[in-house]
Amino acid sequence: MQRRMTLWAWLGIAVAVVWTLLPIYWFLKMSLLTPDEIARFPPPLVPLDPTPAAYFNIFGFDYQVTPELVRRASGQAGQIINGLINSLIVSIVVTAITMLVVVPLAYVFARLDFRFKQALLITILLSVALPPVSTLIPFYALYVQLGLAGTRFGLIVVTLTITIPFVTWMLIGYLRNLPPVERLARVDGYTRLETLVFIVIPLARSGIAVAAVIAFLFAWNEYTYALVLVNGTPANTLATALSGFLFQHPEPSHLAAALVVSILPPVLVAYFLQRHIAEMNLVDPIR
Amino acid sequence: MAGQVTSTGRTSELSNLQFALLMALPVLLFLVLVVAYPLGYALWMSFQQIVFFGGYRTNFVGLANYATMLGDDKFWWSIWVTVRFTVESVLLAMAIGLALALLLNRPMRRPGLIRTIIMLPWCVSLYGTGIMFSYLATGQTGFATAIAFFFGADRPVSFVNRQWVIEVLAIGNAWNMAPLVAFFLLANLKTIPTRLYDLAAIDRMSPLETFWNVTLPPLRFTLFVFTCITTVLSMKLFDFIFVLSGGGPGTASAVMTYQIYKISFRDLNLGYGAAQSFVLLFLIVGSTMTLYALWGRREAAR
Repeated sequence: MQRRMTLWAWLGIAVAVVWTLLPIYWFLKMSLLTPDEIARFPPPLVPLDPTPAAYFNIFGFDYQVTPELVRRASGQAGQIINGLINSLIVSIVVTAITMLVVVPLAYVFARLDFRFKQALLITILLSVALPPVSTLIPFYALYVQLGLAGTRFGLIVVTLTITIPFVTWMLIGYLRNLPPVERLARVDGYTRLETLVFIVIPLARSGIAVAAVIAFLFAWNEYTYALVLVNGTPANTLATALSGFLFQHPEPSHLAAALVVSILPPVLVAYFLQRHIAEMNLVDPIR
Repeated sequence: MAGQVTSTGRTSELSNLQFALLMALPVLLFLVLVVAYPLGYALWMSFQQIVFFGGYRTNFVGLANYATMLGDDKFWWSIWVTVRFTVESVLLAMAIGLALALLLNRPMRRPGLIRTIIMLPWCVSLYGTGIMFSYLATGQTGFATAIAFFFGADRPVSFVNRQWVIEVLAIGNAWNMAPLVAFFLLANLKTIPTRLYDLAAIDRMSPLETFWNVTLPPLRFTLFVFTCITTVLSMKLFDFIFVLSGGGPGTASAVMTYQIYKISFRDLNLGYGAAQSFVLLFLIVGSTMTLYALWGRREAAR
């Protein structure tokens, strides 16, 4: 289809880009506004006097606008920094555990035939359909009794219930489409475990990297569990720190700046994901 | 190499099932612990009245929680809101996803950059999407207000009201989900041989006929799968709605997940919440089964 780009195609792409970027732009703009501009009505379409003050404020620094005018550090800077650290710890630990667990599991489902496979596969797909709110009820009751509410450990365990089923499903589709290397590895004298570790995993590294990125994204973006389990405790994540801002409305530009910081890691991986995400076959395991 | 064959000969005689168990058993045990056990526990809880104040106690009440539901107007309202939100989200997400996929399939300059931009919404968290859309759609800070004033209006334009809040939610949700749909459809589109388009041109097919006869058929099973995925994601969605509208104004956007959250963690009526969460789970599984029976079975057999 080596057709020239027509006017319509240009227009279509322009619409798609505007549709995608408008909500993000609106927020990016808000993080750069001065308090006066934010209070102004109607809201300005562009920041007339863009200032990065909010980004300093949320990390606890004052920002000197002019010699007389200083925009003070946010009172919630401590929560933001704490949330950022907790989010990083939880996301990294969840990603590591997820990958350790998911790679062998997906491999077994993708490449081997055994009894009960279909039933087990359906169980995994079903657990993707579990609403987080329902999973939370028993966990909450359990955690209250065990004293695990408000701990990073508790949050990590619950978050794994989201990442493991979904990432397994993705990887099954990916691993199925690898060339049939097992027989050759067998001839070369590898055991099954060695085949997995020395042949399949290196062969599948790009798919495994995508899976790891997605596990990280899911953990990083998780909000429901954090809201109930760690909100308002020292284990709060960036997500719950943000909602603290949102519901107290002290300074919209601080909220906007914190949100922009929270979507930075996702934005950084978007380029990587757009190239590789379609390799993860979500359709195959269902067929 | 020969040495390895003899030294490992014994273990390689494991049957597929044995190896699968060895690899998967620890993991499946963990899954049982973190998925099946809570589910069972929740089922048990749905038959209890749970009291937090004055020490954690449970009283067996049988099916009372389920019976309460039948006479609970808020419960029936939440089902209706969930259905409306889900249908709108899925239709929008699939339509936008398909449109984006067709667009991205054309040759263009800087494809990597454009595709990265299109991918962005899926990477943004749902609570982040909720915060963004709440500021975008409410009158005081909204984009529509800014545009309306630009053209001379004098009062704010808000969409977060009883009438439109569900549509705002559906649009935001579709904004977030469409890229996922688009990228998987795009992968399918790439497998269509160019030759087929040449043949369609020889047959003097109109663009619409070409789309219907050449482009669409290989996409159909993927479309089905993603209709299921977006349905499940929309029905179980909570954080986005909680952040954007908090179930409001009034109860205008009180979907089932929001009701369950409110009953369980605000009113601390965990038994009743658990009972409702089983209804939700039943609805989710039921709607995907229905989709499969009506549509998927036909496509899979194709």
